[in-house]
Amino acid sequence: MEQEELLKNEEVEKVLSPHPLSFMKLQSLCIFLIVWGALIGWFVNFSEYKNLFVNDWITTMTWGLGLLLFGIAASLIAIQWSIFLLYLTTFVLGILLMLWQGWIENSEIFIPFYTVGVSVIGFLLVEWYRRSHKYIISNLRIIFKGGIFTKRERTLRYDKITDIDGKQGILGQIFGFGTIIPISQSGFGLGSDKTFAAAGIEVAPKKIGFLGLFGGGKEVQTPRARSYYELHGVHPYKEVRALIENLVQGSVITPYQQEQVTYQKEQVDLQKQMRDLLKKQMELKEEENEEEKN
Amino acid sequence: MLDLSSPIDTLIFAPLAPILGVLLFWFIQILFIESQKYLLSKIWDKHQPLCRFTNLIGILFQTICHALGYTVTRSGISTFYISVDYGRVEPKKEKKGMFEWISNAFLFIGPFFIPPGILLIPILLLTKKTFETAPDAYNTFSQGMIHFGENLFSFSKSFFEFLFTIDLLHPGHLGFLLLLIFLGMGIRPSYIAEEKRREKISMIYDLKNIKNLVLQKPLYPIILLLLSYIIFYISLILEQNWYTTVFSILGWLSITAIVALLIGHMLVLLIKTTDKIPGIWKLLPYITIIVSYITARIIFYLHPMDYSNTISLLTTICSTSLITMFLIKHKTNKFKTDTDIKGRMVEDGTGRTS
Repeated sequence: MEQEELLKNEEVEKVLSPHPLSFMKLQSLCIFLIVWGALIGWFVNFSEYKNLFVNDWITTMTWGLGLLLFGIAASLIAIQWSIFLLYLTTFVLGILLMLWQGWIENSEIFIPFYTVGVSVIGFLLVEWYRRSHKYIISNLRIIFKGGIFTKRERTLRYDKITDIDGKQGILGQIFGFGTIIPISQSGFGLGSDKTFAAAGIEVAPKKIGFLGLFGGGKEVQTPRARSYYELHGVHPYKEVRALIENLVQGSVITPYQQEQVTYQKEQVDLQKQMRDLLKKQMELKEEENEEEKN
Repeated sequence: MLDLSSPIDTLIFAPLAPILGVLLFWFIQILFIESQKYLLSKIWDKHQPLCRFTNLIGILFQTICHALGYTVTRSGISTFYISVDYGRVEPKKEKKGMFEWISNAFLFIGPFFIPPGILLIPILLLTKKTFETAPDAYNTFSQGMIHFGENLFSFSKSFFEFLFTIDLLHPGHLGFLLLLIFLGMGIRPSYIAEEKRREKISMIYDLKNIKNLVLQKPLYPIILLLLSYIIFYISLILEQNWYTTVFSILGWLSITAIVALLIGHMLVLLIKTTDKIPGIWKLLPYITIIVSYITARIIFYLHPMDYSNTISLLTTICSTSLITMFLIKHKTNKFKTDTDIKGRMVEDGTGRTS
């Protein structure tokens, strides 16, 4: 962090970035590509079932079907259709490349190498994305920085933090990293899970022509933020969490301290009243003295 | 017809034969587990994630077994929690007596047999063999031992044949080896931890739990023993091999576990040894494993010959061992002198070096 970016009396406690395995959800998409590429390569070239893949299009379609089915399954689980689109793009690009270069006859060699190649590119992109994150914990605030093309920055003062959410998955527990979401007074850091159920009826148009749609939804608030706005996969998790808890605690007035402040205010008010009274008494005395002199 | 030449042997000692066989193999398994826990505790400081991972597998099976115990006894499960440090399962209904004892038996004995049970399924699928068992019932202790030994021999023969011809470029075989390593690392009922919590990592701790289980309600183990005697007599009357087969399966599980633990040992030993090698040189043995195997397989692909898989495996093991020994000799011990000190003349002319 540049020195001029620091505030007066501000000191940097820790500069963090996400653990290399903290984006495993994205990395697992690439791992699947490697596994699938290797499996297809083995099935088509070396396995006892290689006679089934006599036609190059059978190989290509089996490969594509596997990719798209996994894409649909992963999209449904993660509720994120971009995963399916990603696999669809990989499939379409692969087909276009084969048709363009006339490699369709060598699909048994091209497909495994292409799939593994795409996954390597995927790994590099995930790593680039991971490295774009930076979290600075100072004695006054937390600064979240990130973004590959569009740079984003969020600053959160400790006195504005109302709640701290932490989570550590299985990998996090093994490697000692975890995600900390500081929730601000404005609700930044909170997301919502929605479930929706719907049913529709369409009666034949000639008879009634009725379309009905019935639905219902539920919403649950849950701590959630983009990886740029949370301490995503920070290591060592327990140490960082304890540090933030202490810093937040240091910036929050405890009930005892609040009581003390109120008590001190009362004391000051009382002293002010006494000073005014004394002043009045002095003035009265002076007036009396002057009257006596006169 | 069955020969009942020695009724005492048949009635009392013969049923004990496979039970003692299983106990023997199970005890060997415990010894290997203890040795692996010791080795893992030695690399704890440098390889905490690996140790935590093995803990997680151990705890996972322990918790699953506990939950299985509650499910079998129809106690229900209200809490199921697993972390790398500990697992917790709580029943919906607290049941006492026999049910509680069965739940605890699952908890303390299950982790020894459930992971190898999982391994046994891919072994059966990949070897494509149904393991032969001695066809007849037996009526003497020595015959029982022979039948039990034959059953274990037929399984071990197929299993080791498969292991020595394993094709690591076959996805199924590779997956099996990885499963064998991962489960082999976690076949244990208790977990390893830091130095200050070392009291947890002892074989005595595991055995004490089992001893308490037996002594707590001695009636139940006796009932189980009587039950096994009854099954033996029924098998004997019907001239079936059920009794030996059941115990043989437990023996197969123990053998699978011992092999998994042995491979786990080799891996942990390699890690422990490479830790002594400085810098990036420590990666060389691991790279050698992959490179030497693939090279050997390519050579045998171009020049096919018999036992190519076994020779590839042997090449990998030998080249990795040699590379590791070479690195240990040349990349460690910085104080080693270029020339031998012994025999060099010292300045005072005595010719002695001390």
